[in-house]
Amino acid sequence: MKAVRQTFWKKIGDFVSNNMVPVLFVVICAFSIPLSGYSANYLLSEIIVRISRDSFLIVSLLIPIMAGMGLNFGMTLGAMAAEIGLICISDWGIVGIPGMVLAAIISTPISVLLGWWCGKILNMAKGREMVTSYIIGFFMNGIYQLVVLYCMGAIIPVRSAKLVLPRGYGIRNTVNLSGIRKSLDNLVSLKIAGISIPIATFAVIVVLCLFVVWFRKTKLGQDMRAVGQDMEVARAAGIKVEETRIISIIISTVLAGYGMIIYLQNMGTLNTYNSHTQVGMFSIAALLVGGASVAKANIRNVFLGVILFHLMFIVSPMAGKNLIGEAQLGEYFRVFVSYGVITLSLVLYEVRKKREANREGQELAADQKEDAR
Amino acid sequence: MRKIKEFINNFGLPRIIIGLFLLLLFVVAPFVGVKVSTSINDTIVRFGMNSVMVLAMVPMIHSGCGLNFGLPLGIIAGLLGATMSLEAEVHGFAGFMMAIVFATPFALILGWGYGRLLNKVKGGEMMIATYVGFSSVAFMCMMWLLLPFKNPTMVWGYSGRGLRTTISTEGYYLHVLDSFLEIKLGPIVIPTGMLLFFAVLAFGMWAFLHTKTGTAMTAVGSNPVFARASGINIDNIRTLSVIMSTWLGAVGILVYQQSFGFIQLYMGPFYMALPAVSAILIGGASVNKATIPNVIIGTLLFQGILTMTPSVMNSAVHTDMSEVVRIVVSNGMILYALTRKTEATR
Amino acid sequence: MKRKCLVVRLIAIVLVIALAVLMFLIGRQHTILVDDKTIMLADGTEIKALSTVEVRIDKQEQMELAARDRDQYVVTGQRHTITVAYTDSQWDEHTFSREFEVPIGLDMVIISIPTLVARQDAPVGEWLSEYETPKVVVKQEEEVVTSEDTGLGSSF
Repeated sequence: MKAVRQTFWKKIGDFVSNNMVPVLFVVICAFSIPLSGYSANYLLSEIIVRISRDSFLIVSLLIPIMAGMGLNFGMTLGAMAAEIGLICISDWGIVGIPGMVLAAIISTPISVLLGWWCGKILNMAKGREMVTSYIIGFFMNGIYQLVVLYCMGAIIPVRSAKLVLPRGYGIRNTVNLSGIRKSLDNLVSLKIAGISIPIATFAVIVVLCLFVVWFRKTKLGQDMRAVGQDMEVARAAGIKVEETRIISIIISTVLAGYGMIIYLQNMGTLNTYNSHTQVGMFSIAALLVGGASVAKANIRNVFLGVILFHLMFIVSPMAGKNLIGEAQLGEYFRVFVSYGVITLSLVLYEVRKKREANREGQELAADQKEDAR
Repeated sequence: MRKIKEFINNFGLPRIIIGLFLLLLFVVAPFVGVKVSTSINDTIVRFGMNSVMVLAMVPMIHSGCGLNFGLPLGIIAGLLGATMSLEAEVHGFAGFMMAIVFATPFALILGWGYGRLLNKVKGGEMMIATYVGFSSVAFMCMMWLLLPFKNPTMVWGYSGRGLRTTISTEGYYLHVLDSFLEIKLGPIVIPTGMLLFFAVLAFGMWAFLHTKTGTAMTAVGSNPVFARASGINIDNIRTLSVIMSTWLGAVGILVYQQSFGFIQLYMGPFYMALPAVSAILIGGASVNKATIPNVIIGTLLFQGILTMTPSVMNSAVHTDMSEVVRIVVSNGMILYALTRKTEATR
Repeated sequence: MKRKCLVVRLIAIVLVIALAVLMFLIGRQHTILVDDKTIMLADGTEIKALSTVEVRIDKQEQMELAARDRDQYVVTGQRHTITVAYTDSQWDEHTFSREFEVPIGLDMVIISIPTLVARQDAPVGEWLSEYETPKVVVKQEEEVVTSEDTGLGSSF
């Protein structure tokens, strides 16, 4: 009897240690939700909105992880390409679904170019992909500012005067996207119990998920997984390692661009110089909260992550206010938790990697001892 | 021709480009109405302000922990020292020293914990350092709201609780180093005190690197196998380097504050690692090799560009492209360093 | 084999470009001003404004214009129908519709209702023309915020 109880607790212990981050988040949410005083209805509708808005972006992170490139902080580049596409359609006055499609078409070649460049640089920094993609994001932000804040309106013609800053060139801080606002969301939407569900957007997300599942099984997908497992073994097997890695980044960047368009059509306004920077950080945090790691991530992680992360995000300010009397505290708390969860995930990943390498080394040594006997 | 190529390779093409660019700015300056003397003055002051934080990069690079993106942790220790010194109402130079005294235990403890963490994650230090830095800044944001400070110059007016976002050092230790032994060369005012302070610390670092422990540290970074074979405890040395780096970061922000005039809390320290990292890379350091001249040259070049670009470009082209230049230069430098194959073993 | 790949890729690119153009045409938003003012023609003759006239574009709201009135419609796409109901000098009511296309590339156009009524079968160019908004110079200081130091906004 006692043995059964012990293995039961051991199982629980194992489960918790393997999924520490999501479990931690569930605990935080369980604690904060009642503290915040929000109604279940409100939370449910908010979560549905966030899932429909952010999932596409997070799914774009899956492919580089599969190829062993770690967390693609370079998804910011795709977001920037999408923003340029959106600036174009706002300038030309294209609205609704056609506007979104056109923005996506415009963003694609830009995303491909940026993704290709990013992939090339990452190949030059093997072993340090994450830091490098992180810095690439910042660097491109500078280039983006150069183009959007200085060239647009001056060297690149912008027709609509209301997009341009009063000084004559450079795009304004905020671009009103009322033309495409909720175009996809409202295309097919269902109202259940007072909560409106954007069916069309979910359909798009489902299609993307199916694409990812299908992609894993294609030759290219298998190649990427092989490269992700072990680059040298893949190379010996005849796979073009460098090219495969670059392609994974390109796909991720393009998808991030489309995801950004979906995100922005829900928001309705474009924060020209800030939207893309926040998006990268949040998507990665959400994915990690869902239980993904630097080397392994699947679709379950995406959705679990979105739900948990956003629950925490929504309830923290009010919970903080009711607990301490300062909503500001709750806001800082959620910032801390977001960064903390990334830190924790990264640490756990490295520690686990080391432990496994250690174990394999010991097993190898034990085998050799056996052979020598 | 080959010698020139070798020189370029050794010195680093980006550094040469940046050096020439800076020279160009200085040459163009008088033609667009920017006073060279003011620019030189500003550059020297900014050099002094940032030099110690750049120096903080050296120990960790030497011991193989990579670029210290987690500098904000040290900065936080410094901020705690600063706020406590102000709370204790100590003024002038004594206040500055008190700040260092208060900051030191925090730096030691935080550095020790941070070092232990980095030892467990060898290979992925830089990414984790970045996020440790961010998380700690975010954590302190909560703390700054809650900690029981009472000094009226520091807390919000109405509630009397929670620290303000920026606190002035005026009346406390503003310019205590700057004005110490100030030398006036016509329009140029050299903040000798601050430069002397940096020189003392830099000399201390140089001297340390030549001691037994210091050379052990260098060995750990450049050839860990050899180091272990020589009986050096790698983990301890690495932790020591992290503690040193954190403490220098704390002192660095205090030097910065006494010149700048403000203590920046909350999200202030968030991105402060990047300028220091870029500066030392511009100075010629790599991910696992850094010298004191790297610190000096790098800070001079970097701060020079930061000072000259806005003033010159503003007057010349009537546009403020300084931010774009800053972002491109600093991040470009880091990218260049990250993509070089100077790793000995990994 | 390689040639086939290339041909397929080229066809794909052409299709995408065609799609883009289609999207551009379908999705373009225009503002149509409907104007009831007396028009002076090139040859000196005058077309008088109508005292009241009802105008509707596509299926949008019907608008009533008096003399010298102007109103506006926002439409998407190129092809539209304008329906006009007016009372002529014999106090008879007439209603008619005209289909028209907004010329590509114009943001804002203005339709002169009196001209349309007087010359119902005239080509589009006679009663529809480009409208340029007068450029108002407003001195506004807008600061560009390029870095949000909080690192996280209030929404994601």
